[in-house]
Amino acid sequence: MPEDKLQTNPYHKIESTAAYRRLMAAYYFMAKKPSWFGKKVAWVTSGGPVEPLYAMGVLPFYPENYGAMCGASRMSVPLCEAAEHKGYSRDLCSYALIDIGSSLTGKGPLGKLPKPDFLVCGNNICGTVMKWYELQSRAFRVPVFFLDTPFVHDEIQCHTLKYVQGQMKDYVTFLERQLKRPFSEEKLRKVSFRSFEAIQLWKEILALSKNRPAPIASFDAFIHMAPIVTLRGTRWAVWYYRKLKQEIEERVKRGVGAFAREEIRLIWDNIPVWYDIRNLSKILSSQGAVLVADTYTSAWALDHLDLTDPLNRLAKAYATIHLNLGLEHKIKKMTNLVEQYGAHGFIMHSNRSCKSYSLGQADLKREVSRATGKPGLMIEADHTDSRSYGEKQVEKQIQIFLDIIKGKG
Amino acid sequence: MITSLDKETSPSIILREFETIASLRYGEIVSQLPRDRAPIGFFCPYVPEEILHAVGAHPVRLMGGSIKISHAQAHLPPYCCHLVKSSLESLLQGELDFLKGVIFSQTCDSMQGLSDIWALQKRSPLHFNLMMPTHFDSEQSRIYLKEEIERFKEFLDSHIGKITSQNLRGSIQLFNSIRKTLREIYNRRRHRVALLPGGSFAKLIRAGYLMDRSRYLELLKELLGALDEKSEDPKNLVPIYITGNMVHSDSWCSLIEEAGAQLVQDDLCSGTRFFRLMIREDLDPIEGLTERYFNSFFCPTKYRGAQAHMETLVRDVQESGAKGVIFLLYKYCEAHFFDYPDLKIALESQGIPTLLLEMEDPSYSTGQLKVRIQAFAEMLNPI
Repeated sequence: MPEDKLQTNPYHKIESTAAYRRLMAAYYFMAKKPSWFGKKVAWVTSGGPVEPLYAMGVLPFYPENYGAMCGASRMSVPLCEAAEHKGYSRDLCSYALIDIGSSLTGKGPLGKLPKPDFLVCGNNICGTVMKWYELQSRAFRVPVFFLDTPFVHDEIQCHTLKYVQGQMKDYVTFLERQLKRPFSEEKLRKVSFRSFEAIQLWKEILALSKNRPAPIASFDAFIHMAPIVTLRGTRWAVWYYRKLKQEIEERVKRGVGAFAREEIRLIWDNIPVWYDIRNLSKILSSQGAVLVADTYTSAWALDHLDLTDPLNRLAKAYATIHLNLGLEHKIKKMTNLVEQYGAHGFIMHSNRSCKSYSLGQADLKREVSRATGKPGLMIEADHTDSRSYGEKQVEKQIQIFLDIIKGKG
Repeated sequence: MITSLDKETSPSIILREFETIASLRYGEIVSQLPRDRAPIGFFCPYVPEEILHAVGAHPVRLMGGSIKISHAQAHLPPYCCHLVKSSLESLLQGELDFLKGVIFSQTCDSMQGLSDIWALQKRSPLHFNLMMPTHFDSEQSRIYLKEEIERFKEFLDSHIGKITSQNLRGSIQLFNSIRKTLREIYNRRRHRVALLPGGSFAKLIRAGYLMDRSRYLELLKELLGALDEKSEDPKNLVPIYITGNMVHSDSWCSLIEEAGAQLVQDDLCSGTRFFRLMIREDLDPIEGLTERYFNSFFCPTKYRGAQAHMETLVRDVQESGAKGVIFLLYKYCEAHFFDYPDLKIALESQGIPTLLLEMEDPSYSTGQLKVRIQAFAEMLNPI
């Protein structure tokens, strides 16, 4: 392949990005000044049930999403160090360290964040969040509601589902107590409908990358997923994803891909390496490689959202999200992604900050390669802490991996 | 093995039996296990051993060990604790082939991941995940746990043998007696460490998770009667308290004494937390098994209120008379490391100094650890 072809592979910018930026700026403005809007703020985990919060008029704030923002803007290391100075181990999840560091110093891309009124923590993404929210509830002296969703190694048991559904009722009682007003099932239905609509749109957008060339790359999805995390349940998320879907569908019609050249299609596993997204995207695209799907952005594509009984349906949906399911499920999901998106291989991020995502990846890699005949690459990093990231080493690994795929083709 | 015990038995003969078992590798342990019981592995006190015993199985606690890691890296990332790494290594090296099954319980993300990796290797004929609730502060979780324990019982019923209520009550009584006797030995030793030197004491604890439990109780009772009250303590040993994960290496307890300190009490998963597992014998057995987990703070992977760990630890340390606290934490143990800074502040605000020892494998770097404990002991007890 000629050298100049390796260097150039124009990226097609998504036009809706401007609307995305305005939307997120408005959200973060509210999060910074909730009292101006008469809002109470709940800090919530990324897999926490947000619909009851929006139904009660509470503004949810996502420390994990903020951690990703700190990572992408390369502001995470001093925040992690501030938490470590207080005695927290460097081996703890860097999202948590950033949150602790930002609470202690008032620093970060948004400066000093307002104190939460209460916390909502769902352990369907990991056990880490339980400890993290426990210590923040001590630090801020605010109440915390825990939604305990036992891990589903194979099938969800009836009594497990009943347990989660029972806690959703407790959650409503907790919210009524915090906000001193009654909960409205009708409002929940409305919010859940919007949530479902946004999720459907998001799923359809991601599925459009089954087309060749893929109209939206995972590196785009990592950015454009922010509203599905933070604004799920609002009309703004629905409005935004309608707009984005229209643009991406238009690309499919015109046969336009995320990049001008798409020779290798890859799947990504785990949370992005937030501080190196741009560089990784450049390395891959310069070789004609595009990440067409991933296990991360689709983690918010909740199934089971039947609106006749929203509270109980939400319980089931949140109890069975991707990260709360066992290795056999993950093998099936990854195998399906490789096959359905016609991928030539997959890249796995062994993420030292996320044990729930990363333990089992070595077996996952073997099993998916066995089932699909496609090679996988494991790179070692951390989602937001760049201190132990070997950038050059990862670049070299990717180069060799792509050479192997090209050799197979 | 000694076959009969009488009043003349010296503690050293009893201790030798504990030591023999505790020093064996997993692969060598089969000959010491009761032949009429199917050996079932488990990791954590959140698995009710009583049910395993009642079904006619023999519970074998997997506490990690000193093993050269050569196979586990192909399945695990470097950032998980020694217990996870060494246990998988033992499995992959065939050391655990004698087990008829393994029971995992829901605690931390690493153990949860290990369970799936373990199952995929298909080396244990039986594999069960006991999904403990994560918070022990609500009626919802109590109802759920009871049903989960019932599910566990049904699994054993259909794969090993029928559990009768009478058997379960018998097993509960046996394990309660073990806890009671062990607590008594602990208390006696707290006042006079020379009764039972640290190394022997650690072996006694480890043996209790491996050997036939009826025999264990018999030996513990005998030992209690045979302890020499006249033994004299070495002078100037500083009383200290240890909290953290667990100690699989008996050399660790000797090390503390060699460094000039004396372990008076602990809050380790391989130590006194076991005593908090007493079960009320007047209740329905499943009810009793469920209830015990709600009675006290047990492990930082679980939630009983934001202050529960601090309050429990500070109170226990103050009651123990310890002059300082050592945090003995496995590297990469998130549950403990998240709690550590607030626990340290809580203890130090009560005038109790602390020392953090973070370890990959507790049986390594003993020289360095000894120097650090010595310095800590000297600080607590300046001569």
